[in-house]
Amino acid sequence: MDWPAFRLSLWLGLGTVVILLPLALWLGRFLALRRFRGRGMVEAAVALPLVLPPTVLGFYLLAAFGAGTWLGGAFQAIFGRTLAFSFEGLLLASAIANIPFAVQPIQNAFAAIPANLREAGATSGMAPWAVFWRVELPLAWPGIATAIVLTFAHTLGEFGVVLMVGGAIPGETRTAAIAIYDRVQAFDDAAAASMSALLLVICLLALLLVQRLTRGIGRRRHG
Amino acid sequence: MHRRHLLALAALPCVPGDAFAMERPLIAAAAALQPALEEAAPIIAVQTGIAPRFAYGASGNLARQVAQGAPFEMLLAADEVSIQKLAEAGHTRDAGHVFAVGRLALFAPRGSALDPAGGLEALRPLLAVGRVQRFAIANPEIAPYGRAAEQALRRLDLWEALRPHLVFGTSIAQAAQFATTEGATGGLIAYSLALSPALSARGSFSLVPEALHDPLRHRLAMTRRASDAAARLQSWFLSPQAAEVFARHGLQAP
Amino acid sequence: MAEAGLSLRLKAATPITLDLALDCAPGELLAIIGPSGAGKSTTLRAIAGLHRPESGSVSCGAETWLDTSRALDLPAHRRRVGLVFQDYALFPHMTALGNVMAAMSHLPAALRAERAAALLARVHLAGLEQRRPAELSGGQQQRVAVARALARDPAVLLLDEPFSAVDRATRRRLQVELANLRQGLSIPIILVTHDLDEAASLADRMLLLHRGRGLQTASPAEMLARPASAEVARLLDLRNLFAGVILAHEPGLTRLRWGNQVLEAAPMPSLAPGTAVDWLIGAGGVVLHRRGRPSAGERENPVSGTIIALLPMGEEMRVTLDVGDPEGRHLTFALPRHAAQRNALAVGEACGVSLLRDALHVMPRP
Repeated sequence: MDWPAFRLSLWLGLGTVVILLPLALWLGRFLALRRFRGRGMVEAAVALPLVLPPTVLGFYLLAAFGAGTWLGGAFQAIFGRTLAFSFEGLLLASAIANIPFAVQPIQNAFAAIPANLREAGATSGMAPWAVFWRVELPLAWPGIATAIVLTFAHTLGEFGVVLMVGGAIPGETRTAAIAIYDRVQAFDDAAAASMSALLLVICLLALLLVQRLTRGIGRRRHG
Repeated sequence: MHRRHLLALAALPCVPGDAFAMERPLIAAAAALQPALEEAAPIIAVQTGIAPRFAYGASGNLARQVAQGAPFEMLLAADEVSIQKLAEAGHTRDAGHVFAVGRLALFAPRGSALDPAGGLEALRPLLAVGRVQRFAIANPEIAPYGRAAEQALRRLDLWEALRPHLVFGTSIAQAAQFATTEGATGGLIAYSLALSPALSARGSFSLVPEALHDPLRHRLAMTRRASDAAARLQSWFLSPQAAEVFARHGLQAP
Repeated sequence: MAEAGLSLRLKAATPITLDLALDCAPGELLAIIGPSGAGKSTTLRAIAGLHRPESGSVSCGAETWLDTSRALDLPAHRRRVGLVFQDYALFPHMTALGNVMAAMSHLPAALRAERAAALLARVHLAGLEQRRPAELSGGQQQRVAVARALARDPAVLLLDEPFSAVDRATRRRLQVELANLRQGLSIPIILVTHDLDEAASLADRMLLLHRGRGLQTASPAEMLARPASAEVARLLDLRNLFAGVILAHEPGLTRLRWGNQVLEAAPMPSLAPGTAVDWLIGAGGVVLHRRGRPSAGERENPVSGTIIALLPMGEEMRVTLDVGDPEGRHLTFALPRHAAQRNALAVGEACGVSLLRDALHVMPRP
């Protein structure tokens, strides 16, 4: 059992959620409410990491911030180490790979709010910020929570992108998923089995949680 | 377990300080070296006070990562050309040193139609009657043991006939793993891996004559990020104690 | 704040045509009626600030809320309007009390719960404050919506088809409640509805909208008896619409030609002789002649025709006559069933009626 790898995975999951949540809140709501030319393109771009092979994503990310690029060089100049093969590089890659998991549930949640509720808020004297905070957010909450849980769980399972962008550096970028792969190649079936079981349980729990939260959308018992 | 292992393990608690106080340089190592380095780790800790972190993979992959700025302080490759390319591009401190020579082994899992005792030639009759299923080698483009495997097979005129049955591992370790799965007739893997308990429990092997392939000279070099600890490690890898450990894992002295 | 009422002028070509003006005094209830798609809801939304027309102005009391010529457009949350939506738009995650309190951001927090409870009691929902909208009936939800609209202490109350979503019995009850409620309100109230009877029973004045154009503004009685044009009459589903030509004016009456008859109508001196016009006779203006005893009283136009249909409807008998109209239109009127029987009315029989002069209303053509 490679506990450092699990710790790494958990930090990666949490970090990805923290980075993506504000962006997804803004973008999801924007896509839900506004009609504009090019909206289809933006939605397609958001959905791209869903269908793209992770290695393709990893390849392009390395091309974007590997050694020798502007971004990679800037990071190295500021922090003294490379963006690729570091935890920060993983965070960046993970955030990009998880955009659809964060944005789409939030977008659906805001789109499901009837337009006249926002209007009712306005005619009841609420400024746009108050409408967002007191009407939209409570109603969109199940979708937001779903986005959080899905992003976290999906990050735990990230493999292709992590491997390409992070290498498998123990303690730095060797996440649980990669550690399992390593253990299998080292014929350590016992460790691979126990780690796989733990990941399986975590993912199951995450899905059950999502189910409970989305059922709440229909009933709206909780404010 | 060898007596030396027990001795080394017994000495572990005497290692000074806690883990944080020990230096932990990050070392990239060819997959073929994993069993040897895992045995060496406690010995290194006792003899140098260093506890290196190893990242294993195909030598070609690891060299690419070093070129892209991965934070490795040293690369122990299964060939020389990976190091040479890095040295030419200025990623290593120097041209490095050869520290071991590896051997190729023909492996067949239990129950396979192939008997390694007959050497690679034993494949020919099996191929003729279509009794070869999958045969695993490492990817010749990135793994030195894969290159050696292709050389040996070509020299014996078995390459073309065997090609449709080949399964390529991204590293010699993955090739070894493929070689033990259901439906694998066998594979060409590193001698150092064939000796490991996990593999020797799952099948049998025979050594491939060195004349059939270019020598598998293993070269190591420190990268530009190498610390003092890495330098001390390099001395250890070139020391007689290291040679002893390597020899036990089928890695001959250069 | 000077309560000079609401006044509005809208003009637009897109996205839908609009061309109307209206005024509503404090305490007055103005109903905006018209077929679907006429622009009624759009007008209401323009008053509330939810829709910006191409050009127009909206002012309430001393405040100007919209003036496109000055690029002035106050957003909805800054206009003191109370709007009751067609499907109520209650906040599903708040209780009834919470919904009403949500509109009270202009009050100090300590007062809100109490005032909200008082408002809910005023709309007969005392005891239901803690229920969520999903736990309330349609009629109860509507009352919460009204309470929320009033919670803001609005300068104008707007209702967008507020009774269309409930059943008939509940609708009657809610209409009565609204009629009671407005007694205590001294603000302009604008009600949008497609139900003419509802408008006629609740409104002081009605504005008829068709394809975005305001056709007539008048009290219900006035509009039904004296529609401004044949188009208005058709939209109000008024019967007995015919065409004629002005002949002459005399004090107290106007003569017009209809087919080969000359009729006396209520005076319309503004129309020159020779003008082609439309005219109608209200249902109460058709009087049946007793069989064999034609009447030729003062201020009456005797007309004879053939019965082509007799339709019993409830307690009445609906009679359709072919009166030789040049354009083939028929005259319809109703009388109690027993009267129809007494007069032995039958399809195919001749029949004489009188068209009362004062109920004969002449309308100019646009």
